[in-house]
This record gives sequence, structure tokens and C-alpha cells, in this order.
Amino acid sequence: MNRINFIFTVIFIVTSAVRIDVYAQEDQCFICHDVLGDKPSELFKNDIHLKMKISCSACHGGNSKSDDMDIAMSSKEGFIGVPKGNDISERCIACHSNEEKMKAYGSNLPANQHELIKNSVHWKTSITGREHILQCTTCHNAHGILKVNNPASPVHSLNIPQTCAKCHSDAVYMRLYNPSLPVDQLQKYRTSGHGILNSKRDSKAADCADCHGSHEIRTAGDIKSKVYPTNIPKTCAACHSNAEYMGGYKIPIDQYDKFKSSVHGIALFEKNDLSAPVCNSCHGNHGATPPGVESISKVCGTCHVLNAELFSGSPHKKAFDEKNYPECETCHKNHDIVTATNALLGVSDEAVCSQCHSESENVKGFKSAAEMRSLIDSLDQAVILAKELINEAEQKGMEISEAKFRLRDAQQAKLEARTMVHSFSLDKFKEIVEGKGLLVTSSVIDEAKASIDDYYFRRYGLLISILIISLLALALYLYVKKIERKNTG
Amino acid sequence: MKNFWNNLYGWFDERLELKELVNFMEKKYVPVHRHSIWYYFGGVSLFLFIIQVATGILLLFYYKGTEDLAFESIQFIMSKVEFGWLIRSIHTWSANLFILAIFIHMFSVLFEKAYRKPREVTWITGVLMFFLALGFGFSGYLLPWNELAFFATKVGSDIVGAVPLIGEPLKIFMRGGEDVTGATLSRLFGFHVALFPAIFSSLLIIHLLLVQRQGMSQPMEFEGKKKHELKKMPFFPNFFLRDLILWLLVLNVLAILAVFFPSELGQKADPFAPAPEGIKPEWYFLFMFQTLKYFPAHIWFIEGEVVGVLLFGAAGILWLLVPFWDKRSSRGERNKLINYIGLFAVMFIIVLTILGWLS
Amino acid sequence: MNYSKNNFEKQGRRNFLKYLLTGGVVGFTGAVLYPLIAYLKPPKQADVEVSTVSGGLLSELEKDSGKIVRFGNKPVILVRTINDELRAFEATCTHLDCTVQYKKEMGVIWCACHNGKYDLAGRNIAGPPPRPLQPFRVVLKGDEILISKQS
Repeated sequence: MNRINFIFTVIFIVTSAVRIDVYAQEDQCFICHDVLGDKPSELFKNDIHLKMKISCSACHGGNSKSDDMDIAMSSKEGFIGVPKGNDISERCIACHSNEEKMKAYGSNLPANQHELIKNSVHWKTSITGREHILQCTTCHNAHGILKVNNPASPVHSLNIPQTCAKCHSDAVYMRLYNPSLPVDQLQKYRTSGHGILNSKRDSKAADCADCHGSHEIRTAGDIKSKVYPTNIPKTCAACHSNAEYMGGYKIPIDQYDKFKSSVHGIALFEKNDLSAPVCNSCHGNHGATPPGVESISKVCGTCHVLNAELFSGSPHKKAFDEKNYPECETCHKNHDIVTATNALLGVSDEAVCSQCHSESENVKGFKSAAEMRSLIDSLDQAVILAKELINEAEQKGMEISEAKFRLRDAQQAKLEARTMVHSFSLDKFKEIVEGKGLLVTSSVIDEAKASIDDYYFRRYGLLISILIISLLALALYLYVKKIERKNTG
Repeated sequence: MKNFWNNLYGWFDERLELKELVNFMEKKYVPVHRHSIWYYFGGVSLFLFIIQVATGILLLFYYKGTEDLAFESIQFIMSKVEFGWLIRSIHTWSANLFILAIFIHMFSVLFEKAYRKPREVTWITGVLMFFLALGFGFSGYLLPWNELAFFATKVGSDIVGAVPLIGEPLKIFMRGGEDVTGATLSRLFGFHVALFPAIFSSLLIIHLLLVQRQGMSQPMEFEGKKKHELKKMPFFPNFFLRDLILWLLVLNVLAILAVFFPSELGQKADPFAPAPEGIKPEWYFLFMFQTLKYFPAHIWFIEGEVVGVLLFGAAGILWLLVPFWDKRSSRGERNKLINYIGLFAVMFIIVLTILGWLS
Repeated sequence: MNYSKNNFEKQGRRNFLKYLLTGGVVGFTGAVLYPLIAYLKPPKQADVEVSTVSGGLLSELEKDSGKIVRFGNKPVILVRTINDELRAFEATCTHLDCTVQYKKEMGVIWCACHNGKYDLAGRNIAGPPPRPLQPFRVVLKGDEILISKQS
């Protein structure tokens, strides 16, 4: 104890007496606190800011040039002690949002972090109502701030999941702010393709910030968010469509292009239909991974329930399982799913049925497919004819809105029949096409024809009436002539 | 059979003294000359009015004069009721021909100076019926409650509102409120099927009685000629049958128009929708509508539109009172001024109608 | 001879004219009366009501069931919920224009084409429908259910 005291005294004498003018130019805060061996100064030793010769006083205020504690840490010199609440971030912003200052330190960091974070959910929301939900130090640390590419930094790609999880996996904490937000993202992430690579210290694999952004993190419902449904495909494609980036991984890079022209992509991008599936709808988001062969129909079935159900009850289920065919994908493909047309059905070359069914192989299915196709084709033609007739009648000025209304049922039968294909049962299919579709269509056709006939009936009726009226007029004229002849004669 | 009719006639004759009526009609003569053709247009107008009454009553069986149902009920008439399309189309076409026939009838009377003493009252009732016919057209136009009608009524009643002093209250009275709403529809429906027909029928009875009592007017140049020099034709049955023939021909024209150009319905009126482009009144209002467009925004300190409306009002009153300021015709002297005025009016109406049509 | 022939011709002409006149009058009466009577004959569809349609009698609609009612030229689904509330929505599925139906087992409004589901407030809750169903107003007039457009 005495020894320590002695050393202290010596240091004190030496520092104060001998090298006072030299130390006056040095960071007196750090020197003293370093000697004290407190935790902040211990951490600060590796801090990028210390290396840039930025003193403690830059954040804590006070006079770093004075070795007199009373002067250095006096409020007169602007000492503020430990900044609280938003003041913490204000200290960072003071320099990091000032391009000139940053340049002065030779930094090539962007100076827009504050601008970006202003729009983030972390900045806009507050639990206490007085301060942002987080400060810069929440992610970057306070005293041991390292460069982002330093593997020890909490915001290095390999560490980000853990850093975010500090709060996001804390159910008690998250409840304060958004009780309905799940807290299992990290757990899921670790099961995902990205998470597994991340665990293997592959910093190229996507971490939280790659999808959600770093400073400008918006809620998923924010239309500008990188994870808003319409933005997700681009977000994923940023890596997955980059040939150079994906070079080392043995997966294709054309998913985005295929998706863009698929029925789902068109629904999303052109019709702005937010219920259209995007990448994460099938692959999962935090637990992103390709669905396995056996789970494809479940994934598609979350939206296309009826089709999946019918398929599961169909004879194809067993056959596909045995041959290990992916269920929906075998006929509809995956990223480039296009609108299913009647062309898929039947035995022609472009029809998918003929991949397995032919006149010599699996003959029963071959026959059914051919008949199904001819059924749906005849319904299509009947509907087209009905529409043409209704059009014609309407153009002739006839009112047949009721028949037009009933044609909806035929349209519906068409759609239902297309769904019913997935039962791969000719009887069920027939029941809908014939019992529902063709029945309605033929009655609509009859009505439209009757309406067109009525149009001609009006013309003929007019002709007859004109004849009759003219005849009467003529008779009267002859009569008048007769009278006048009698009068004059 | 013949006996039966004779007996029936006898039965009525005993009670109503029909013989006198027949005698009167047999003795009534219609002058025959190169202008005789114009005599027929009064009859044609009468026939078209009868058609209007008949088809109007028929339409009443299905039409519903309320905001929610007016449009739909007409749609119903056009599609669900057998021959509904025919009845409605005849009603609209007949309305147009009716006004056209009245125009011709009125101008022929003017040029022949047939309004001169002693037929002043006939002229006044006629002109009043002409005004009423325009009122029929205006009120009937709104009844389908479609987009075009809605905005045409709005514009039309706005013009009425331009009249100083009485205009604004009159507009509110017409509209049944500040704006064109369901209340306007009920109101104009009432005018169209009850008030106007009642007034019109009274005027028509007076008009026809006077024509029968005073006989047909002769052109002025025949006055002073000897009786045997004048050609004439008995009103009954000769002229009456000719009338009938013409009526049948008009009926033919109506049937053709109704079948080939059935009335359209358009879109249901939506008070909050923006006014569709090219709102035009019916053709018989077009010349007034077009004239008002040519008035400058301000004449001295009065609004141009107000001046226009006042001028038309003054012209209407002068028109109504023609027999009273044209003393010369009543004295049997030639009055070329009237011809010039009439000619000017015809040209004015035709030119401005065409301009309005083209614009 | 000459005279009588003339007379005969005259007689013939007179008869012809008589027939022509009678025929003309009869024909004309027919031509006018036929459309007139047809017009007055009550049409098949009793009456026009489009801004409000009748959804039938309440006593005929069971609890926890629904039915399709024609509203102008579009269908409307009327549902009497298990809590005895009446709801009506446009019955055209917002996905691909199929007509929806009430599915008792699931307690939802259901579209048979692609298994779209809507809750009883018309919100799309499952399947492909992108938007909720347009609600209609339902009022009870005695025992009669009246459906009208929401303004």
C-alpha cells in the first residue's frame, strides 16, 4: 500500500514539476484516468478516437490541457460529466455530421449518418418520451469504438446479429416498445443459410443490416423500408443477382429476373398487389433457406390452399412422392411461375401432362388429360360466343344486363375448373365444367340470341305497322277523292 | 247492324242534339288557296299533343319520380316492360316534333297575319301554349335523372336565376331549394304531369273553340273578294279526313324514328360528378342558349347575361301582344314590318340553332 | 250493257274501297292495341329497385347462414351471423371476380375459386384476395331485410 502511495507521489511530482509544459499539450484526462486504471480509459486505449488524438473532453467537456482536476473538470471549462440521453448522440453528431471536421481528421466516412438515422424507427420512437430508443453508443459502444471492418467491432458483419439481438431478443425489453414484435429473429437467423455462414465466420453472408439497413432502419410497414414487400426482391437481389458477389457460392443468380416476369412478380410490381408473395414468403425471412422438396406444396399451399388440398388427395401425391418430384414446382416451376393457362393441360407438346403420360405409358391419365382439355376448351369457346352475342345485342341497343350478370357464373366455373384440375379426377372436373359452366353459358347464349332476334322483330314489326298505317292512309285518301268527285260531279 | 248504329246515334242525338253540331261542321268551310297547306300544322300539333298525353299516361304506369328510382325505373321501362322502349321513344320523338310543328304553325299564322281582329285571343292562347310546350320540354328533360339532364337543368335554371329581382326566388322555386336535387325532380315531375297539362288543356279548349266558332282565317288578299270567287272545302269530312291522313303519315314517321333512333339513357345523374363536356340544352332552347353566349360579360354596369335574359323576356311579351300593336293588319292594311320581323326571327332562330349545334 | 258494266265496275270499286277502309281501320287498331296491351301487361320482374333491394324475410334466413342477393347487376352477400347480426357485402371476390359464399363450418365468407376468406367484417383474412369486400347497409323493416348502398 505504501508502495503504491509512493509511486503515485513520485508520478505526481514528476508530472507536475518536471514535464509540466510538455504534458500541457497532451490529453491530461486520459493520462490521469489511465493511471487510475478505470474501465472507460481502459477501453478507450483501443478506441479509434484516441488514435486520432481526440480527447475525452471532446465528449465529456472540460479542459483536457489542464492537469489540475479542479480546473479540468470544472463547469466553467464546460465539463458535463457523463452525457445523458440524447446528449450522448449529440456529442457524436457534433463531429460526424460535419464533413469538414471529418476531413480534418483524414476520415473518409460519410457524414450523413444523422440524416439517415433521423428517419429510422430507433430514432423516431421513444419509450420514455424524452429520448430516442437508442443512441449511437448502443451499437457502436462508448469508449471502445472500433472501425467497422475490425472483427472485434460490435457492428462488424459477424457481430451484428448478436449486437441487434441484445435488445431484439430481450422479450422483456421489446415488450416495452412493441409487444407484438417477435423476439426470435436471432434464433431463426442461426438456422438460415445466411446465419450458418455467418457462424462459420463468412462475413459476406447477409446480416441484419444487409436487409434492414444500418442507420436508416424503418419498420417493415414503411413503404421506404428495404423490407417493405415491394422492395424485398431488390433487397435480396442486391447480393443474389450479383454474379461477382455470389461467385463463390454454387447457386444461380437469375432468381430476380425470373421472379420479375412471373405471375407473382407482375402482381407485385405492376398491380402493386401487396398480397403477392415475395422472396421471403416462400423462403422465410430471418430463417431464409430454400424449401425442401416435400415442403414445397405446403409453402405454396399457404396461399393456394385449395389447390394444395386437392393435390394431396389426388393420385399424383403418391406418384410424386415415390419419384421424389417437387409437387407444385414440377408443373409450375419456381421463380418463373407464369399464369397457368389451359395450354398446361392436355396431351399436346407444350402441355405438362405429356411429360409423364403418353399413349403407351400411363394411358389412363393420358386419356383423362385429353378429355379435360377438350372440356375446358369447349367451355372457353362457349363463354367467348356468349360474350360476343351479348356484345352484339348491346350494340344493337338491347338491354340484357341480366344475362350478362349470369355469365359471371360461367366465368366462375372456369376458374373453379382450373382449380379442380388439381384433383386429377375427370368426374369432379366434368361436374364443374358441364354441370355449372356449360349449363349457364348455354342459357346465356339462348337469351342473347333471343335478344338479337327481338331487335329484328322490332324492325319487322315496324315494317308491318308502317304498311298497315300507310294502307289506312291510302284508303282514306281514296275515300276523300271519292267524296270530292261526288260533290263536284 | 246498320240499324244498331242508327239507333245509337239517335239515342245520343235526342239528348245532345248532335244534328246541330253536324250541321255546324258541315257548314264550316276551309278556304282553299295556295297557302292552304299551313292549315294542317295546327292539326298536326294537336295530334302530337294527343300522342304525348297517351304515351305520357302510359309511362306514368311504370315511372317513379324520385331521386333513387327515376333512372332505374326508366331503365326498367326500356328493358323489362314489353314495348316500353317504343312508348318512351315515341314520347321523346313526339315531343320534339310537337315543338317543331308548333313553331311552323305559329310562324305561318304570323306571316298570314291570322291573328288580326277578331282572332287576338286565339293568338294569345296559342303563344301561351307555345311557352308551355317549352316548359314541358324543360321539365320532361330532367325526368330520366341522367347526367345530361341533370346538368342541363342546372344550367337552364341558372339562366332563370339571372333575371333581376324575381330571378333568384324563381330559380329557388323551380329547383325546390338552392340546388338541383331530388326535390327539383319531384317538382318538375309535378309540373310536367299535372300543372302544365291542366293549364295547357284549358288553353287548348279555348283555342279550339275559337277556331271552330270563328272559322279558318283567310289570307288578307282574299278580303273584299266575292264569295263565289273563293274556293273552299267542307271542314267535315273533307278537311278532317285529310287531317287524318296526315296524322297517319306523322305516326309513320314517329314509328320509324322510335325504332331506328330509340331514346338513350346514359349515366345516372351524380350531383358530385364533374359536369360532362358539351352540355347542351334541347335543340329548341339552343338558339337562346347560344345567343346568351355572345353577350359580353358586362354591358355598362349590368351583366351581359341579365341583359340577354331581359331582352328575350321583352321579345316574348312583344310576341304575345303582336295583335295589339299591329293595328294595321287588323284594319286590313298590309303591314310589311311584321313580315320583316317574322323573317328576322326565323333566320335568327335557324342561324343561332345551327351555330349552337356546331359549337 | 255499257251502263251496267260501268255500274258493276263502280260497285266493285266501292266494295274494294270499303274493304280497304275496314281492313285499314282493323289493322290500325291492332297495330296500336298490340304494343299497348303488351306494355300494360305486368312484366316478369315485378318492380325496379336498385338503390335498395330486398334481401327477403328475416324469418326465412337462418342464423349463421348467408345468401346471395342480386343488387342491380352485381351480387351482394347477406349474412346473418351467429350473434344474430345482419351484414351485407359486395359478393364479388376482390381476387378474380368469383362470387363468394358464406361458409358455416369456418364462420367466414369464402370464395370457392381460390379459397379466399373474409371475416364477417368483410376483411380479407386468408388466401389471395388483395382487398376487403365493399360493405352494404342493411336495415330491417318489420320482417323484411333491406340492403342499400352505403353512402
